[in-house]
Amino acid sequence: MAFDKMELRDIEVWDGNFAAAQALRQCQIDVVAAYPITPSTPIVEGYAKFLADGYVEGEFVMVESEHAAMSGCIGAAAAGGRVATATSSQGFALMVETLYQASGMRLPIVLNVVNRALAAPLNVNGDHSDMYLGRDSGWIQLDAYCPQDAYDLNFIAFKVSEDHEVRLPCMVHQDGFMTSHTAQGVKTLTDDQGYGFVGEYKPMNDMLDFEHPVTHGVQTEEDWHFEHKARQHNDLMTKVFPKIEAAFDAFEKLSGRKYNIVEKYDMDDADVSVVCMGTSVETAREVATEMRAKGIKAGVVGLRVIRPFPFMQIQEVLKDVKAIAVLDRSSPNGAPGMLFNEIAGCLFNTDTKALLSGYVYGLGGRDLTKKHLVDLFTELQANVDAGKILTPLQQFIGVRGPKLSFL
Amino acid sequence: MAKRGWDEFEIGAMLRSFDGVSNDIATTLQEDRNYSQSNSFVASVADWRIAKPVFNKDFCIDCQFCWIYCPDMSIIARDKKMIGVDMDHCKGCGICVEVCPTNPKSLLMFPEQADEEAELSQWPAKDKETK
Amino acid sequence: MSEMKKIKNLKEFSTSADRFEGANLLCPGCAHSIIVREVLNATNDDLVLSASTGCLEVCTAVYPYTSWDASWIHIGFENGSTAVAGAEAMYKALKNKGRLKQPDRNPKFVSFAGDGASYDIGFQWISGCMERGHNIMHVVLDNEVYANTGGQRSSSTPIGSSATTAPAGRVSYGEKRNKKDMVSIMASHHIPYAAQVAPNKWKDMVKKIQHGFSVDGPVFINAVSPCTTEWKFDPKDTMMITDLATDSLVFPLYEIIDGHELNITYRPKNVVPVEEYLAAQGRFKHLFKDEYKYLIKEWQERVDANWAYLNRREEARV
Repeated sequence: MAFDKMELRDIEVWDGNFAAAQALRQCQIDVVAAYPITPSTPIVEGYAKFLADGYVEGEFVMVESEHAAMSGCIGAAAAGGRVATATSSQGFALMVETLYQASGMRLPIVLNVVNRALAAPLNVNGDHSDMYLGRDSGWIQLDAYCPQDAYDLNFIAFKVSEDHEVRLPCMVHQDGFMTSHTAQGVKTLTDDQGYGFVGEYKPMNDMLDFEHPVTHGVQTEEDWHFEHKARQHNDLMTKVFPKIEAAFDAFEKLSGRKYNIVEKYDMDDADVSVVCMGTSVETAREVATEMRAKGIKAGVVGLRVIRPFPFMQIQEVLKDVKAIAVLDRSSPNGAPGMLFNEIAGCLFNTDTKALLSGYVYGLGGRDLTKKHLVDLFTELQANVDAGKILTPLQQFIGVRGPKLSFL
Repeated sequence: MAKRGWDEFEIGAMLRSFDGVSNDIATTLQEDRNYSQSNSFVASVADWRIAKPVFNKDFCIDCQFCWIYCPDMSIIARDKKMIGVDMDHCKGCGICVEVCPTNPKSLLMFPEQADEEAELSQWPAKDKETK
Repeated sequence: MSEMKKIKNLKEFSTSADRFEGANLLCPGCAHSIIVREVLNATNDDLVLSASTGCLEVCTAVYPYTSWDASWIHIGFENGSTAVAGAEAMYKALKNKGRLKQPDRNPKFVSFAGDGASYDIGFQWISGCMERGHNIMHVVLDNEVYANTGGQRSSSTPIGSSATTAPAGRVSYGEKRNKKDMVSIMASHHIPYAAQVAPNKWKDMVKKIQHGFSVDGPVFINAVSPCTTEWKFDPKDTMMITDLATDSLVFPLYEIIDGHELNITYRPKNVVPVEEYLAAQGRFKHLFKDEYKYLIKEWQERVDANWAYLNRREEARV
């Protein structure tokens, strides 16, 4: 190998972007095709610098748009090798066409999405609008809450995505700035441990196997399209979770860090629970602990896997909860909210009598404060005490002006 | 190809041109290739034709104009000789006849139902008007 | 560098084994297929191909059939060039890492796209590929119209052509703008090779394709592809129309090396009046009304001026 290994300390102080870049280096990506956009740019800058310094060997293709970035990734992945890139927000939106093409062709590309709001009005800060935009694209979506997760989940992403029984592209989400630009202690793997975990890329249906010419990206009309889409959905529904669980187990053995498809916090006897994603999970956990000191049995459910949606796992974890607040960090634009709807869908047809309410928060990087969450848990407990929801179903947290609520 | 169910095909709607290993395809003639059932070579567009080319080798000079300008890989050339038309893949466009330089032409279009032997037996004579 | 395939004459060329198959769904008489054959048969090396969405793509990979005997990919309308560029990047990466399954090969990376997918929607992607220096060839199947979607104008549609979105009518002669000079634009990326080709001049075309395969870096090829359906002529006349295109100098054949050295590669012995080229196609039929005959004169003047310009560029050697 014509590149050098990097000596890392057991714990490095990295932000989420650099953590992801280090993971890409250790996975020895063959091709990165990328285009800069705030706040994800440092990930691909990191790969470029590692390449320039001789710490990884591969091709860095600096293309002219995010659409071209994913197009190049698709071509490279179809050719047969390990491929990754990163984007955010508007760039993600420009990529959307190709996201469906990547997943439909069953190409194992890893896309780091540093979550950011969608214009208009233009905003560079973190919310989950772009992450929500990807939810029907046929990709696996993993969610990091902190730089450590952003590092670890990249290894998980390659391991699952490239598995020949899966062969589906995977996004690793982290919150713009809150995770991507916030330096924290990150426990590292050695280069050998990291690469050993993901292993050498195993090609499948690769265009560069000249002894087996392959046609990728065919047209299917009404006589075939449905079956191909059904196959993809089936594989998302049945094949991904067992592989993710196996990867989480193997990763725990390697690193001692345990990930779960649904991350429970104090949920065993919780009366009231918040369901949320991203950095908010960590804030909610802290507040839940404080609520317990006040006698409110609070818990937190964080989604680690957004797609495929952990329907059964959510049912299980929420089955005895009395009041649930679902937090959506994306403007629902005329609906109750994606996560609210998903959770409501999980609980319907079950025996739960839980009181379910939704909260829209944090758009464009607006802080979700501990006070917001204290008030929220208090509202949930009031609902439990009254035996009914005392507030509108959809409330906005932290927005200026008259109180905004619907439904 | 039979209409298979969702669980019966390769992921990603991927298609293979050949069965098994195929090497040196660029120098392997069609008859020696191991085409897969997904290769359009195994299909036919013969029913597109309303007129068909008939080849009269008596006048052919093997110039290969018909071979190079055929849009449907339907002029069968072997060892630098024109040996016939692939009637499974010919769509009946008539380009081969237009580009044929012999006098009389070595390829002519006839209605699809025409009897080839009969047409060959009454092939037009040399046209003295054109050279 | 692999050995170049020897193609002395048409007889020798006819021993080629096509890697593009029949029973595709292209119209009878479609020139796309003739162009594809001349490109693919110009080499015996392995091929990695792409097609952007368009006639060629929708007619050659309709599940469960493929007409391609080499690895081929289609992603979308605009990004066929980048698909092949990505594959080429992976080839380089795996070659450097010693992970190619067949390391002794010299694959050629070729992207096919129509004029809509090249001059319009894929313009930025192709520009990016040319600028970045990928070792790929982009071939435009230039039929001057969005044929796959039924005949809408593109930025390659010439003045006076009737297209469905620029129709000739009671008060309009159809397309009002002259076509984009894509070869010059691409040559201005200072790529090693850009050329205009026509399938009727097969020897000129194959020579250019082989030159393109021999250089290191991006290659742009604009191939005139008369469209029986949208240009409105009899399918049997495809090559006759192509002859008119090259011999009227509406489609002059030339090459530009390293972005500056222009060579005219075909000088018709008898230059055909542009009027004959226009008259052979239904898309220009309305130009022969009295009120539009001035456009035919302007057409001839434009073609003459362009020919003079190409000659000046060739003489100047700049």
